Amino acid sequence: MARGKTYPVTRKRKVAESEFPNQKKKPLNKKETEKNSKSDITNNAKTLSNKKHDVSSKHEKIAGNQIKGHYKYNRNRYQIVNTLGRFDDEDLEEDDDEQSGLWGDENDSDYIAGDSLEDMTRQQKWQPPNTVGNIPMEWYDDYPHIGYDIDGKIIMKPAKGDELDEFLDKMEDPDYWISVKDNLTQQNVKLTDEELDIIRRIQMHEIPDANYNPYEPMVEWFTSKPEVMPLSAAPEPKRRFVPSKWEAKRIMKIVRGIREGRIITRKTQVQKPRFYNLWADSDQPRQDHPMHIPAPKMKLPEHDESYNPPAEYLPTDKEKEEWEQMDSEDREKNYLPQKYSSLRAVPAYGRFIHEHFNRCLDLYLAPRIRRNKLNIDPESLIPKLPNPKDLQPFPTTLTFSYTGHTARIRCFSIDPLGLWLVSGSDDQTIRVWEITTGRCVYTWTVGDIVHSIAWCPNKDVCGFFAAFSNKVAFISPFKLCDEEMYVVTNRYVTAGHNQIQKDDKKKSAHWSQPTEQEKELGYLVILDHSHSKTVKQVTWHRKGDYFATLAPDAGNQGILIHQLTKHQTQQPFRKIKGLIQRVMFHPIKPLFFVATQRYIRIYNLIKQEATKTLQAGVKWISSLDVHPLGDNIIIGSYDKRLCWFDLDLSSRPYKTLRYHSMAIRSVSYHKRFPLFASCSDDGSIQIFHGMVYNDLLQNPLIVPVKILKGGHKVVDSLGVLHCEFHPTQPWIISSGADHQINLWT
Amino acid sequence: MGKLKKKGQSGAAINYITRNQALKKLQVTLADFRRICILKGIYPRQPKNKKKANKGSTAPATFYYTKDIQYLLHEPVLKKFREYKIFVRKLSKALGKRQIGVAQNLEKNKPVYTLDHIIKERYPSFIEALRDLDDALCMLFLFSTFPATDKIKNETVDNCRRLSSEFQHYVMHTRSLRKTFLSIKGIYYQAEIKGQTINWIVPYQFSQQVPDDVDFRVMLTFLEFYQTLVGFINYKLFTDINLLYPPKFDKEKDDEAAGLDAYLIESTNISANIFDQSKKPEKTNNDNHDDDGNETDDVKKELTQKKEWEKRLKTLAQKITEIKVQDVKSAAAETQTDDSQTAVINSNKNQLIDDFDEQQSNGKSTSTAENKQVTTTTSTTKMFTYYDIHSASMAESEFQQLFSKCIFYLSREVPRYSLEFVIRAFGGQVSWDPTVGGGSLFDETNEIITHQVCDRPSQKHQFLSRVYIQPQWVYDCVNARKLLTTEPYQPGELLPPHLSPFVEHKEGDYIPAIEDHFDGQEDAMEDEDVKEENEGEDDNDGVKVKESNKIVEKVEDSSSESEEETEEMVLMKELEAEAKGIPFSKYQQKQLKSKSTATSTKPITSGQKTSGQKRTIKEIEAAEEQEVKELGKIMMTKKQKKLYTKIEYGKKKQQRKVANLQQKKRELNATSKNKKR
Repeated sequence: MARGKTYPVTRKRKVAESEFPNQKKKPLNKKETEKNSKSDITNNAKTLSNKKHDVSSKHEKIAGNQIKGHYKYNRNRYQIVNTLGRFDDEDLEEDDDEQSGLWGDENDSDYIAGDSLEDMTRQQKWQPPNTVGNIPMEWYDDYPHIGYDIDGKIIMKPAKGDELDEFLDKMEDPDYWISVKDNLTQQNVKLTDEELDIIRRIQMHEIPDANYNPYEPMVEWFTSKPEVMPLSAAPEPKRRFVPSKWEAKRIMKIVRGIREGRIITRKTQVQKPRFYNLWADSDQPRQDHPMHIPAPKMKLPEHDESYNPPAEYLPTDKEKEEWEQMDSEDREKNYLPQKYSSLRAVPAYGRFIHEHFNRCLDLYLAPRIRRNKLNIDPESLIPKLPNPKDLQPFPTTLTFSYTGHTARIRCFSIDPLGLWLVSGSDDQTIRVWEITTGRCVYTWTVGDIVHSIAWCPNKDVCGFFAAFSNKVAFISPFKLCDEEMYVVTNRYVTAGHNQIQKDDKKKSAHWSQPTEQEKELGYLVILDHSHSKTVKQVTWHRKGDYFATLAPDAGNQGILIHQLTKHQTQQPFRKIKGLIQRVMFHPIKPLFFVATQRYIRIYNLIKQEATKTLQAGVKWISSLDVHPLGDNIIIGSYDKRLCWFDLDLSSRPYKTLRYHSMAIRSVSYHKRFPLFASCSDDGSIQIFHGMVYNDLLQNPLIVPVKILKGGHKVVDSLGVLHCEFHPTQPWIISSGADHQINLWT
Repeated sequence: MGKLKKKGQSGAAINYITRNQALKKLQVTLADFRRICILKGIYPRQPKNKKKANKGSTAPATFYYTKDIQYLLHEPVLKKFREYKIFVRKLSKALGKRQIGVAQNLEKNKPVYTLDHIIKERYPSFIEALRDLDDALCMLFLFSTFPATDKIKNETVDNCRRLSSEFQHYVMHTRSLRKTFLSIKGIYYQAEIKGQTINWIVPYQFSQQVPDDVDFRVMLTFLEFYQTLVGFINYKLFTDINLLYPPKFDKEKDDEAAGLDAYLIESTNISANIFDQSKKPEKTNNDNHDDDGNETDDVKKELTQKKEWEKRLKTLAQKITEIKVQDVKSAAAETQTDDSQTAVINSNKNQLIDDFDEQQSNGKSTSTAENKQVTTTTSTTKMFTYYDIHSASMAESEFQQLFSKCIFYLSREVPRYSLEFVIRAFGGQVSWDPTVGGGSLFDETNEIITHQVCDRPSQKHQFLSRVYIQPQWVYDCVNARKLLTTEPYQPGELLPPHLSPFVEHKEGDYIPAIEDHFDGQEDAMEDEDVKEENEGEDDNDGVKVKESNKIVEKVEDSSSESEEETEEMVLMKELEAEAKGIPFSKYQQKQLKSKSTATSTKPITSGQKTSGQKRTIKEIEAAEEQEVKELGKIMMTKKQKKLYTKIEYGKKKQQRKVANLQQKKRELNATSKNKKR
């Protein structure tokens, strides 16, 4: 309605007008409207003089009418009315609108004046249109207004009557039942007849639009009659008349299947019995697969699981407490034995389901491994050794104790004939004992702890070397030998005095003659080392001419080889690797053994080169001894091990034995019998039968034959410090930290 | 030089596969994998070297044997799992689209899998299946007491009850129950079927508290398998002794809580016999005919069988083992005849009581006849071993008829489900209070009752004609294999301890003492003792023997001084021995032994005099031996040493346990003595 927009002022009136006749003079015919318009015109003419209205307000009204139109649009009810009821009127009235537009707004007042009372009330009820739009009106519930008009002014909520008013309305207003509250204006609006008709139609499930005709005559777009001229003139293909080949094939396939019994239709399916003889055709057990591990069976109950066990199976309170405090996984049995006086009193076992569930888990989740249960007699594990009785002689019992020393005895030595025993002790004395009687023959007091002592292996010479501080002294117990021997000894030892001291500076050791006093005591020669470290070991060469001294802390001067007859000293090693523990001459060959903490190095003294290194595999070697035949050596270590090396075999031990409970202090071979021994801080001496065969193919036979216990007491966690076999007899002599020397025979 | 071996291409590296790898290979979910593993009995392995099996990695992993997984690849059940998954998807889709017809059609063609082939595969022979029956039975008995919950269907519980009852019927029928034990967890049973011992435990019948922390999916998968397994085993067992399977189920009786009686055990022969006898008009009582027909048939069979045996005995005298098998068969046959009788008795209970005496006499007569026959056979063959075996088998059959002369009545408060089973499994007649369940044969006032089992401290009205006992008597009788005196088991009495029959006492184990007034069992125990002693003597390496020998040696040592042998002779002998390479110590021992044997006839008179010396000598000997042992230990390798210490540790632990028990027993004895004073 473009025109409505152009002359909005008239629109308002038109609405009012359109509503007004709706109620009273409906339907209007053309004549009447014309009349009306004419009367309007006259009215307008009357008020022409007042027509000079302010232009500004006119503008506003145009805008206002636009909104009004919008408002009308929103309120469908009015539109429906307009479209349905007032179509004709509007068209007719348009002309009037134009005219009235020309004359201005005065017609409003005329309108008011000329209308009935009813219209008056309507007019009063009319409010400026609300501009809030199509929103839920409950948003304004909490406000005093219900929206804004076209000027942006608040439209207040219309006064609302209370219950009583409502009731009165109900009673008095005949149209109350056909009035509906308009949400936007918050006012009651009376429904028109058309609207009521629509509601009625909806209620009756009819089409709401009264004018809609559902039974329009059909238009035949696609004709049911065959056309005279068809679109395609192609003849119908044959396949449309012949049964499908492929379908036939598929059907035949199924049919054949049914005939052969491959396909069983649901009707013909016979219910097979659930169970039948599964093992009818073959009942042969399969051979056990090596990888198959059958599940272990459930444990069968023991006496204590009984509901009425013997009383001794019932746990004490302490055991009960222990059981309850234990973690359920650590428990040996998952139940506590209990006694019930009768079967009637036995309750349900609470963990029955759990136990069976755990069994299920074990069956399918627990990894299985085949453990061969050794059903052997533990005694069969102990190797069958030759009976020690067959390997006699060896020392078995404690015979003598040589007492006299007042401190621990670190070293002793036996003369090559096996008559005398010389011992050095921490009480700074050296004593000589008669072996067979235990009599102390000699006592020397030296100024320091005696670390090592070694009797000269030469049978013509009677004397021994003793090492204390950085000195080594040759002492001859002249009372023990006949004069001839003493003379020989003296000559042998002191011969070197004539040809000594060529260049003093280079000497690593100084050979000096003892004083007269010392000579009287038996000292024959004293060897002073140029370093100030203590000499820990003196060891003879087999022939009794050369000897070696060891002072582990003295660096490259630690190992020195001396010649007694010539009073000469050599320093064989310019550089020394590791901490030297022991040195030893080979009994036959010109070889020299040097035991460091972990290795044993063998040097050839003539070629002056290292020939072999033995790896013991122990942490700290304590002692070393070489077999009298020279092909086997044994070492003892502070980590309780004894290693037997076969030099022909390998650089690793032939046998490693671990039987002492404390560190091994000393090991020793017997010179004549196939025996060797080790002594340890645990106070015991272990005797072995160690047979070495001349046949290279036969390994040495090692048989433990005797444990000598109880001879030595352990003092300050030191036990037996040194042991040595008697040179001719199957006896062993040992010295300990308990100030004793023992002879075992 | 051979071809270089590449790492990871042989041995453990390809023998084992981790679980995740297996899942990837099979393309299944973990849940499906677990189910298939349970059904197929596939279990993880512990490779000897995990690092080698896991391609150098030490990460924790579960290993399976590769071939197990390989075989799974074409497992029909796994295929069905996949099909089922697809079916579920299709069904949900159809339901979502509300295509009811499609859904119904799908539902009709729902993939269903059976486990028959798996059972055949896992147990190619019936004996193997029997061997694995323990777990299956335990589960079935457990689930048959379950309440139906949302997880456990009612049908499953019913099926479990049915299968377990069928098995019990078989055990009763063949009299194959051997041991029973009332523990705090439940009641253990042991049956011997086809030479296999089968153990199972039945919980006490209380309503089970279904715990929350148990994964019932796992248990139900196991149960699914076990149900099938036990079904097939039951079928085979029943049909092997000519019984109809499945036995008819009487719903009405079951509703009355008749328990085992709800199943009607029928022989496959019965129907045939009835058919035969219908031709003979003169006989009216059907049941009697059945009896006669069966017996005649069976007797004929036996006769033919026995003839065969005699022949075989003559020919195969050496093959004692075979004879043994035959004998077992004969025992089975005997039981069969008896069982057929009892089966018929079950079918017609009203007549039972009247006919009872007659049947007993019948049974006796037949058995005596058998005895005669057997004795004749033994006399003809005159084989000691055969006689032995026969007597053993007789003892066995006697044991199977343990309660045949007893008629039990169960009071309300005793566990009927167990007692009925045990008593009937040993040929006893049993009835119970009708309030406990239907199917009781006679009421409490009946005079034929010999034993009434009750578990209340005092009985109001006692019949003089019967013995009142507590339920433990029945179980103890079974374990003792004889009828025990009933005095200690009278109601209200303090019961003697109930011991486990499953324990095999080894040397050094604690054997609980049995009180004096208990004649029957004591005898049995004595027998066992004798047996053990015999075994000990038989043992060549037995410690006792050695010791005794040594004692003799010592004695002879002292006494042999009187005998004079010239030193030269001794020397000669020694030299000879040396030439032979005998160590001297052994030679000495030998000498001593020979002397002892030579003088063994002499009484040990000198030994008495020198008892003090003997002891010291003995001690020294022991010490020496100990020392030799110690020396031997030195030469042990590290591995041997470890093993030795381990064994010693286990021994010591066992000894400590025994000592603890003995200590407790001693204390208990002391307190009881004090009380008596």
